[in-house]
Amino acid sequence: MRRFFASSIVKAVLAASLIVAIAAGVSGCGPGKPVTPETGGGAGNKVKLNGAGSTFVFPMMSKWSALYDSVKPGAQVNYQSIGSGGGIRQVIAKTVDFGATDGPMTDEQLQEAKKPVLHIPVVMGAVVPAYYLPGNPAIRFSGPMLADIFLGKITKWNDPALAALNPGVKLPDRQIVVVHRADGSGTTYIWVDYLAKVSAEWKAKVGVATSVNWPVGLGGKGNEGVAGQIKRTPGSLGYVELVYALQNKITFGAVKNPAGQYIKGSAASVSAAGAGAANTIPADLRVSITNAPGKGAYPVSGFAWLLVYAGQENQKRGQALTDFLWWVIHDGQKAVKPLDYARLPEQVVKLAEGKIKEIRVSKANGR
Amino acid sequence: MNPYNRRRLVSRIMLGLCAASVVVVVVPLLLIIGYLIYQGISSVNLALFTQMPKPVGESGGGMANAIAGSLLLLGLASGFGMVVGVMTGIYLAEFGDNKFGFIVRFLSETLNSTPSIIIGIFAYTIIVAPMRHFSALAGGFALGVIMVPIIARTTEDMIRLVPTSLREASLALGVNKWRTIFRVVLRTASPGILTGIMLALARAAGETAPLLFTALGSRFWSLSVSEPISSLPVQIYTYAISPYEDWHRQAWAGALILIGIVVLIGLAARFLAARSSLVRGARRR
Repeated sequence: MRRFFASSIVKAVLAASLIVAIAAGVSGCGPGKPVTPETGGGAGNKVKLNGAGSTFVFPMMSKWSALYDSVKPGAQVNYQSIGSGGGIRQVIAKTVDFGATDGPMTDEQLQEAKKPVLHIPVVMGAVVPAYYLPGNPAIRFSGPMLADIFLGKITKWNDPALAALNPGVKLPDRQIVVVHRADGSGTTYIWVDYLAKVSAEWKAKVGVATSVNWPVGLGGKGNEGVAGQIKRTPGSLGYVELVYALQNKITFGAVKNPAGQYIKGSAASVSAAGAGAANTIPADLRVSITNAPGKGAYPVSGFAWLLVYAGQENQKRGQALTDFLWWVIHDGQKAVKPLDYARLPEQVVKLAEGKIKEIRVSKANGR
Repeated sequence: MNPYNRRRLVSRIMLGLCAASVVVVVVPLLLIIGYLIYQGISSVNLALFTQMPKPVGESGGGMANAIAGSLLLLGLASGFGMVVGVMTGIYLAEFGDNKFGFIVRFLSETLNSTPSIIIGIFAYTIIVAPMRHFSALAGGFALGVIMVPIIARTTEDMIRLVPTSLREASLALGVNKWRTIFRVVLRTASPGILTGIMLALARAAGETAPLLFTALGSRFWSLSVSEPISSLPVQIYTYAISPYEDWHRQAWAGALILIGIVVLIGLAARFLAARSSLVRGARRR
């Protein structure tokens, strides 16, 4: 029998902390965690920036985060992929240092944030119609047809409209299983923004937002979830960011652009769309480049933005954030190509520089 | 059929049904553990314990930060959950035979059955939003809230098992009430209470939902309570819904580690319970 109750609790707590300490020690000495002498061995002196949002840029952000950790040991950028809708929410709630979205904040959301929020474009990407059919036939789509499929008006893969666009392709007599995002998503924004531009019915019935009332289909969480859903469901058709389709070897189709060409999503075709739109970018950089004119332009392209407050409250964090943004639009762009995103056009980099220079540190209370 | 044979038949059938129920309970558990081992064991390696996660879509890397993060979160959670839970249990057992005690007991039961995502939103609202920062502290608090009603319940039950004669003996020797409670009652009931704490820890260890909007997640090594932190359940969740083969593989291995931790905590609870003469006495009765 123990002598004293408190002592047994103390023992348990001591044992627990010992286990934690040992586990921490064991897992801490791995090669994955560089301990730099200048920070005194601990991560305590590092500026830790936290961001959350878009799943569209998650692979890119996570690559940048790893690269930046090695070029700039004094700062850590932690990015969590919770969806653009969530990212915007957390920016408004001021719980993160930056948000990320691929659908710009609406005027109401900007108002809700009270203080000015900047949209810093960081990369461009393509949203592709991805599908899973036996034999992986190459299928061509047109905008109005995609709208009809997502409205539930075209329900079969061998629909005459689809067959007319795809002569010589053997289309199965199968239901089309529509897959869309269940969470608030900038990828959704780009997709429905495009559908609304090419289909009056879509614009009237469903509209454009980071989450909409889908007439038909199954929901998946994040680009990750939709890609997984498509991979598992024969006859499925959904939309994902290009990198998710490529990394997972999911077939995706070409889409007809305003110039009448059938274009597949790729870094080059997205750049073409961006170049066409670069001259018409508004001052706040909230620009849509879907259905962009120009030869070779992929019609379902879009920017991804990092969202930051123009007035930063903490000198150190504000500086670290500015440095990171500057790095992303310059050196960081070198990492864009291998992940099949498209680099920012030169004009846009200039515009983004201007935005980053607007960031000020106010002497108000820091965090 | 004479009454004796009939009774024996009914008895056999009922016994058979009981045995079948046991099978229904045990078989899925064994299947889950078996499948986890089958899927996960090949991916459990040193890197998993020593390395940080790799960027999205790249193979390799490990879950070192998630394992450490989970342990830190559990530490924070038990710091909060143990104190509040045990104190509540003492109150309910010793002073709670009134209307207020009834209300507290009812609320505690309700809290116990509240979906954990709601507890996560609660922690977000009262810690993350005002502090304007996701943090391990908020995650630990959310897990602690989940632990409180479980610990309060077991503490109350264990204290009620302490014979009145022990209390009377102590009081008769002139020891005042709080000393009696702390030195005699709690001491006698402590192995049972520790069992309850371990069970609550095991429950908290597997929770994902309350951590999504509190601890958030991190791909870096962190033991700071004021920063977002990675945890095993959230890491497994993220990896499992991802479309990447290598992350699926790591999710299985992570799940195996997590269930290993839970089994260890469970074994510790068993061990402590076995040492409790009180619990053994109660079983014999």
